[in-house]
Amino acid sequence: MMFGYYLDLALRSLRRNKVLTTLMVLALALGIGACITTLTVLKLLSGDPIPQKSAQLFYPQLDPYPANQPFSRSGKRLPFLMSYVDAMNLIHAHKAERQAAMAMSQVKLMPPSGEGKPFYAQGVLATADFFPMFDAPFQYGSGWTAADDDSRAQVVVIAGYLNDKLFGGANSVGKMIRIEDHDFRIIGVLRAWAPQPRFYALHLGGRSYGKGDAVFLPLQGARADGLMPSAMMGYGKSIDVDHLESAEAIWLGLWVQLPNAAAVSTYRSFLGNYAREQVSLGRFRKSHTALSGLMEWMRSEHVVPEDVRLQAGLAFGFLLICVVNTVGLLLAKCLRRSREIGVRRALGASRGAIFAQFMVEAAIVGLAGGVLGLCFAELGLLGIRHQPAQYASLAHLDLSMFLFTFVVALAASLVAGLLPAWRACVVAPAPQLKDA
Amino acid sequence: MRTFRQIQPILAALRSHKTAVILLVLEIALTMAVLGNLVFIVYGTIQRSHVSTGVAESQIGLIQSITVIGEQSQGTTAGDLAALRNVPGVTHAAYGGPPLWYVERDPVFLDPSRQHPVAQMYEFQGSQDLSRTLGLHIVEGHDFSDDELPVLAKMSMSKDFQFPVLITRALADRLYPGGNALGRVLYDGNAASRVVGIVDHLRGEITGRPDDDYSMVYEYVVGAQNMGGGFMIRASDPARLPQVLHAAAAALQKADPAHVQNKLFTMPELRAKYFRSDLATGRMLLAIILILLVVTALGVSGLASFWVQQRRRQIGMRRALGATRGDILRYFQIENFLIVTGGVLLGALFAYALNLFLMHRFELAHLPANYLLAGAVALWLLGQLAVLGPALRAAAVPPVVATRSV
Repeated sequence: MMFGYYLDLALRSLRRNKVLTTLMVLALALGIGACITTLTVLKLLSGDPIPQKSAQLFYPQLDPYPANQPFSRSGKRLPFLMSYVDAMNLIHAHKAERQAAMAMSQVKLMPPSGEGKPFYAQGVLATADFFPMFDAPFQYGSGWTAADDDSRAQVVVIAGYLNDKLFGGANSVGKMIRIEDHDFRIIGVLRAWAPQPRFYALHLGGRSYGKGDAVFLPLQGARADGLMPSAMMGYGKSIDVDHLESAEAIWLGLWVQLPNAAAVSTYRSFLGNYAREQVSLGRFRKSHTALSGLMEWMRSEHVVPEDVRLQAGLAFGFLLICVVNTVGLLLAKCLRRSREIGVRRALGASRGAIFAQFMVEAAIVGLAGGVLGLCFAELGLLGIRHQPAQYASLAHLDLSMFLFTFVVALAASLVAGLLPAWRACVVAPAPQLKDA
Repeated sequence: MRTFRQIQPILAALRSHKTAVILLVLEIALTMAVLGNLVFIVYGTIQRSHVSTGVAESQIGLIQSITVIGEQSQGTTAGDLAALRNVPGVTHAAYGGPPLWYVERDPVFLDPSRQHPVAQMYEFQGSQDLSRTLGLHIVEGHDFSDDELPVLAKMSMSKDFQFPVLITRALADRLYPGGNALGRVLYDGNAASRVVGIVDHLRGEITGRPDDDYSMVYEYVVGAQNMGGGFMIRASDPARLPQVLHAAAAALQKADPAHVQNKLFTMPELRAKYFRSDLATGRMLLAIILILLVVTALGVSGLASFWVQQRRRQIGMRRALGATRGDILRYFQIENFLIVTGGVLLGALFAYALNLFLMHRFELAHLPANYLLAGAVALWLLGQLAVLGPALRAAAVPPVVATRSV
């Protein structure tokens, strides 16, 4: 009941001083708008790319580098890619439920029947488990098998958007497509599939955001045709690019699927044993290994662009300034009403009642700031969508951010209201009534 | 003198509003910290977008041409280049790529054992005439002469072959701090190179780091091959570059019909695209800066007008006791100046701390002191502007208010 009364009092007070109220709401709304805009982008970029599976996906790392020439200057970070020999040894051990090695490659595509111009597209070279492990959905056909990997089959899975472009969306399974001047038979067409960020392309030279990769080829088959990975690093004297499979070079990403904690710890010890075995064989100098979960891996590798983090940090600084601003203005308002408070106290209102009254007032300012801030955030996101960044078109406010806006608004305004409300409730009634 | 004598009573008055003063000082300090660093970041981006790559950007155009293997082509790369050179308005043409466009980056070593890379350098490679097409400025040594260039067709040459190369002044100073880079031999991942000339600048990318300007250029003679990739032209007249580039593309198409031209762009277009995202971010930060200034001004002016209202009786009394309107106006202006000064001093500290954090976290450069000075001046002006309205209203309070009960 008292709440209704406080609400009435608060609204009266806010109405009485329209300019000050507008200033408070506006300042808070600007701060909230900036915060929600940058947070939406941050959330988009650091989101879970594959929520149903991310807990089961792991990224193993080994260190084949010579002792005097560590991979990182500090010697603490492990190489983020794997050599062909190690990737194949780990895959053929079949110690995980699923396992796939992959590389990215910029490939030249010729439209079928020679119509139209050739163009470049992003290709993925992978082993067979790639599709089931990452839950890539098929519109037509299917992926290839481990047998296809071994027989270096000249087959390809294409993205839905490429199928739309080249075949008008029709079932193209069985048709041929020319990639880097070699003919490949289409065996599958994916539905729209583009994990954001593209975790598997990290360090492989692919794009992290956007509509997804265009073609998927069996690793060995594509390599037999001379397709080159976009990223490779040598740990020997030089890279023999003609024999990458046996070169002292890392150029593959390996992902494994481990269904539960027991499987993870089994795999971890398998990986450790493998590294020690390689040390005893003289291939490795160091036996340290790592096995990171997908989300952990993305965090440690700073997938989110630095400038986005910077903007989010600045937006919080900005919100802080707006909150300080609101504290000042609320304080001004409440000090001005010392007499009114004195009267209410003299008539029997408790300190708690005064405190509650002022907090309700702050909360109303916060809610109004939240609503207006939401408008500003929509405007800000509209601006982001017109930016040239890879992720621009994905920037939309979702339900959770919508609700979060009000949480931020309420929290900010209540924090801002604490000091003024406390100052109001300690006002002594008598002096305010005496004079003037 | 009058002004100085006023400071004492103002300070005394401020002491009775400690909380509000502290809040204002805090707000101004935070604004200054965020503002100083934001302006620094935006200015850095703008400055970076004006750094030259060192080539004759306004005259260079590029045709990306894809060969289609399997189709019999009558054309040769030498023929393609000759066709390009014959286009009216083209002064030079070469096979190769310009800066800012997928330039290869390799470690560079001083000895053939390749144990300790000295630096990472950009490697520009292409056909004869590459350096003249790029319009490089050779400051020491000489440009490539045709008789010293290796011939591409015979490039599986002996291991002892040393490519003649041009390197930038910055790379020369990094590799040979004592000078005398000319004639020295250096090594990348695969080959040995002998420095024949030094160019003033050639940046592979523009990131703001000093090693942007670590570059090496080498040329080889192309002949009967049929290669796809980048074909660059240099036009004599920058104003006619787009037309000349299109004419050149048409000539290349005619000379080599089996090629498919994927992309066609001028160096100014490439540059605009390269910086598009950075400049867009800069514009967004600029918007934040403006909003920040408005919010702070609103806060200052809101509190000031509250103080004026609260002190109407005192103001009336002072007026009745002989203070002029100017005295009252100045009172509030000085009060604001004192508060902003407090905020600026604290703000300088905050700005420095924030800068240290950003340097640690985001590779930002050190914030120069003049940014703090500029920030302080901006906030003083902003404060005076924000307080002007309330101060004028205070000055307009008639002395008779003193005799009324509020």
